[in-house]
Amino acid sequence: MADLSNTSSPLPKRKPGIFIQFLGSMNLAVTLLVMLAIASVIGTVLQQNQVFQDYIIKFGPFWTQVFNELGLFHVYGAAWFILVLLFLLISTSVCVSRNGPTFLKEIRQYSEKLSLNAYKHQPHSVTYTPESFETETAQSILKQQGYKTKIHQREDGVTVAGLKGRWNRLGYIFTHISIIVICIGALFDSNLLLKYRELTGTLAPETRTVGLDKIPQKSWLGPENFSFRGSVNIAEGQKSDVLFLPYERGFLVQKLPFTIDVKDFRIEYYDTGMPKSFESDIVLSAPDLDKPIEKTIAVNHPLFYKNYAIYQSSFGDGGSLMKLKVHPLLSPTNNPLTLNTAVDKVEPLKTPMGTYRLELNDFKMFNIVPASEEEKAKTGKKMHNNGPTIIFKVRNDQGKAWEYENYMQPSLQDGRWFFMTGMRTSQAEPFRYLFIPADQQRQKTRFFNFLALINNKNKSQEVLKEAFPQEKGVDDRTYQLQMRLLNQLMVLFRQKGFNGISLFVQKNVPAKDQPKVKDYYMGQTSLALQTLYLNVLKQEKVKELDNISDFNKQWFEDAITVINSLPNYGPPMYFELDSFKQIESTGLQITKSPGKDIVYFGSALLIIGVFFLFYVRQKRIWLAYSEKEGTLTIAGKDNKELPEVAKEFQQIVQAVQSKMQVKS
Amino acid sequence: MSTMNSSMEMDQLKKPFSISDIIWTVAVIAGAIYAWKSFGQLMDVYEIGILAGASVGLIAFGKIWPSIRTLSYAVAALSLLALWSYSHHGNQISANEQAFFLKFLISSQSAFMWMSALFVMATVAYFLALFSKSNYVGKVASAIAWSGVAFGLVGMMVRWRESYLINPDYGHIPVSSLYEVFILFAVLTTLIYLYYEQKLRTRSMGGFVMLIVSAAIGFLLWYTFDREAHVIQPLVPALKSYWMKIHVPANFIGYGSFSIAAMVGLAYLVTEKFQTKNPDSQFVKSMPSLESMDDLMYKTVALGFAFFTIATVLGAMWAAEAWGGYWSWDPKETWALIVWLNYAAWLHIRMSKGWRGRPMAMWALVGLLVTTFAFLGVNMFLSGLHSYGEL
Ligand code: HEM
Repeated sequence: MADLSNTSSPLPKRKPGIFIQFLGSMNLAVTLLVMLAIASVIGTVLQQNQVFQDYIIKFGPFWTQVFNELGLFHVYGAAWFILVLLFLLISTSVCVSRNGPTFLKEIRQYSEKLSLNAYKHQPHSVTYTPESFETETAQSILKQQGYKTKIHQREDGVTVAGLKGRWNRLGYIFTHISIIVICIGALFDSNLLLKYRELTGTLAPETRTVGLDKIPQKSWLGPENFSFRGSVNIAEGQKSDVLFLPYERGFLVQKLPFTIDVKDFRIEYYDTGMPKSFESDIVLSAPDLDKPIEKTIAVNHPLFYKNYAIYQSSFGDGGSLMKLKVHPLLSPTNNPLTLNTAVDKVEPLKTPMGTYRLELNDFKMFNIVPASEEEKAKTGKKMHNNGPTIIFKVRNDQGKAWEYENYMQPSLQDGRWFFMTGMRTSQAEPFRYLFIPADQQRQKTRFFNFLALINNKNKSQEVLKEAFPQEKGVDDRTYQLQMRLLNQLMVLFRQKGFNGISLFVQKNVPAKDQPKVKDYYMGQTSLALQTLYLNVLKQEKVKELDNISDFNKQWFEDAITVINSLPNYGPPMYFELDSFKQIESTGLQITKSPGKDIVYFGSALLIIGVFFLFYVRQKRIWLAYSEKEGTLTIAGKDNKELPEVAKEFQQIVQAVQSKMQVKS
Repeated sequence: MSTMNSSMEMDQLKKPFSISDIIWTVAVIAGAIYAWKSFGQLMDVYEIGILAGASVGLIAFGKIWPSIRTLSYAVAALSLLALWSYSHHGNQISANEQAFFLKFLISSQSAFMWMSALFVMATVAYFLALFSKSNYVGKVASAIAWSGVAFGLVGMMVRWRESYLINPDYGHIPVSSLYEVFILFAVLTTLIYLYYEQKLRTRSMGGFVMLIVSAAIGFLLWYTFDREAHVIQPLVPALKSYWMKIHVPANFIGYGSFSIAAMVGLAYLVTEKFQTKNPDSQFVKSMPSLESMDDLMYKTVALGFAFFTIATVLGAMWAAEAWGGYWSWDPKETWALIVWLNYAAWLHIRMSKGWRGRPMAMWALVGLLVTTFAFLGVNMFLSGLHSYGEL
């Protein structure tokens, strides 16, 4: 800190109490700065505001408890963090109010009235006997160097005092006041008031996902809430006058004093498949507006209305309409059910296997993935569009859910076309995919015909009998047994796949016979499946059944792979997206931020202040002439002792001495 | 301003406008008008403001530091040559494989390769000069560093143009990806160092500072050849804003200055070590005094702090426009705050406790770790709104 004791007469100053001294001390300031920094590190390293369950998985129940008590899962809202901020605010205020007045005074102070002796004790000082001394010359030398001057007639001579860079001191005041201003602005925009209302019990966040009409009054906020930041999804053609504010583990609903209609939402793409722009055409109407405001908003181009700002922040599905075909995977006939529904709807499904709920979560128009090397070479495009998908869950009556991602169009893998369908049972897992092979018409018809035939006991029995008529020399009983075996193998295979057959052998056959029996059963299963497949091909009127084409051979293998995995696919249904009408929704973020301008003002102060502090140096020079002794004392002092100070002082001494030479 | 007070520039100030000042001013204005005439239709009102502000800034800076003029003339000449060469080849991006000048010298990729080579050579040359105590080698080292800066800047100018040639939709100033800002970092760090080199009339710290630049080059080369990060990609919507043009450069003046402070700190620690062993060693004699290194550390931290403050404020303002809130405790934001708080504490301790030398040098080195994490670590390890430049 600047020590002014030898440049000005000591001011009468009350000695502050020890507590105030502590509050205004730089030790405290630095400690607080470092504490804030460490807290911020924790806040970024430890993922904030996650689902509690995830923390328990990561840290175990004990540490989760400890961390939670310490508020480490929402550091920036934790009481101790706010306390540190508050202390910083107080500390800085105390500091400014203690140093500020002195520093302000220094701006106007030339310290021209000190004694000759005091000048001789300045950090830089030279005394010599000049040939002569003229006040004007002294003044002009200092002015030339950019100093402002002041003259003081002492009893024993004259002092010319120079001061330069006086605004440096404003730098200190600006920077430190700016910290206070920024904190106050941030406080305006914080949710402190909501916290207070929550504590007094007039406010409670909603934690369920329910419709607006079911949200209790206690979770609503009206226009009295003077700062907020929340978001709302509005589908094209829809409107909204509410906003959802995330709050602790739930949310609050903010009523807006205006209504926003969304006319249209658009995404444009680059040729790489990356999104290029998100835009919404919105209309804002309010009772006090004569004409509604129409504007297209985009990322980086918000709409400002009064003290509200409306931003394009995300997008999603706004309830796209779709026609689904539900294929029962265990049905003996290929007879899909048609379902007209929409995203965000829940459909009950009554099946012979039990009741399920179909929850339609999302529809995606484009699924853009990096193109394969061959495709890149062929088309020159870096990205490939796999077309529309639906994302949905099927939930049984115990609440267990399977999540699916089904593609509408086939995609090319290793030169073959497949319809992909992904399944997972937990959000944390990636989807595992089944690749349903497309037939020559790029449809799924053959697959479901084949599947239905395998499922159909009577019909498959007929087909197998026709293919393997009772040979001479085989008695009825043996033939019946053989046929029954094939049938049982088909049932086993459909229930549990090839693995089911192995398990069956392990369970029911003596150990020493197992390998032989297993081989036999597997062979019989393949034989039966091939036979059924041939029947499907025959139904399709495929010619040359003795010489099956490569495509059809490969198709069979791919189909068997899928059917083998179907037992692990969840409830036995496949949902085919037949047609759709996309309806998008735009995610708007709306803020009312009365503290913003305060924060900006503080930031401007901070920047100006920092430049004053670092790049304006406060320099003082005194030329004190003693008439009695005929000596000139040149003294200098900077508020900061930098290496160049001595050099610059020397230059001034030289400049003075070249004008007012040393008496020889 | 303190920089104006030093002896070298004091003479400058007193001089009236010289012929070269007038040429400089006219040249910058002409350049700005040329840019505005050619590309004005692509700019919004803020960008025109930035162009005007940058021109005024450049004119003033050229007055404070005349060397920047020579650099600017060279960069302008080479960039125009590249632009001319492209237009001569029908403004096809493929010209960078055919046209001689582009292919071997000044297409952005070639220029960056030259820059990389020159910066590494400069590092070696600075150390050679230090150990051989040859003034001549020192001069060569500086000249190499200057050329590296020139090639880096030319590369950036040309890359800016190339992004439009590939596809007008892609066009953007090359400060948007991790690859591009690494180049910016290398160029700015070297340039800031060269400023202090001239001001303090010493080249003995060049090797130390260029070490960090060489490290950045090492990363850059790996990033180019292993990850093909040099391919020009279009901008995500959030980055399409004039704010990028001021936020990113301000940030990198900050990062660059902090890095120099750390490397000077390293030089300080090494010199001090040698000095305690043998005060008369040649090495100690050829290094600047400990006090002047301490002072340079302070000056670069101060410069970095000032610009980092600006950058953070600009970032907050941009965030307010792009994401709807000036502060969201996003990891990148938060780490910027951490860096800022760290150096605020550094400055306060230096002033209140009067700590000098060794502890501050070590703290400056720790500061570099913090800064590096904010710059790189956040992109690698933490996800957030700022997840653009992922590795
Ligand atoms: C977030 C909080 C703060 C920030 C960012 C901050 C920033 C700064 C900066 C950048 C400087 C200039 C350092 C230099 O010239 O090298 C400074 C100086 C100073 N600060 Fe702070 N400061 C803060 C809080 C405080 C507090 C709480 C105090 C009270 C003890 C304080 C007291 C001082 C003093 C006395 C100076 C020296 C002024 C001078 O003589 O030039 N600061 N501060």
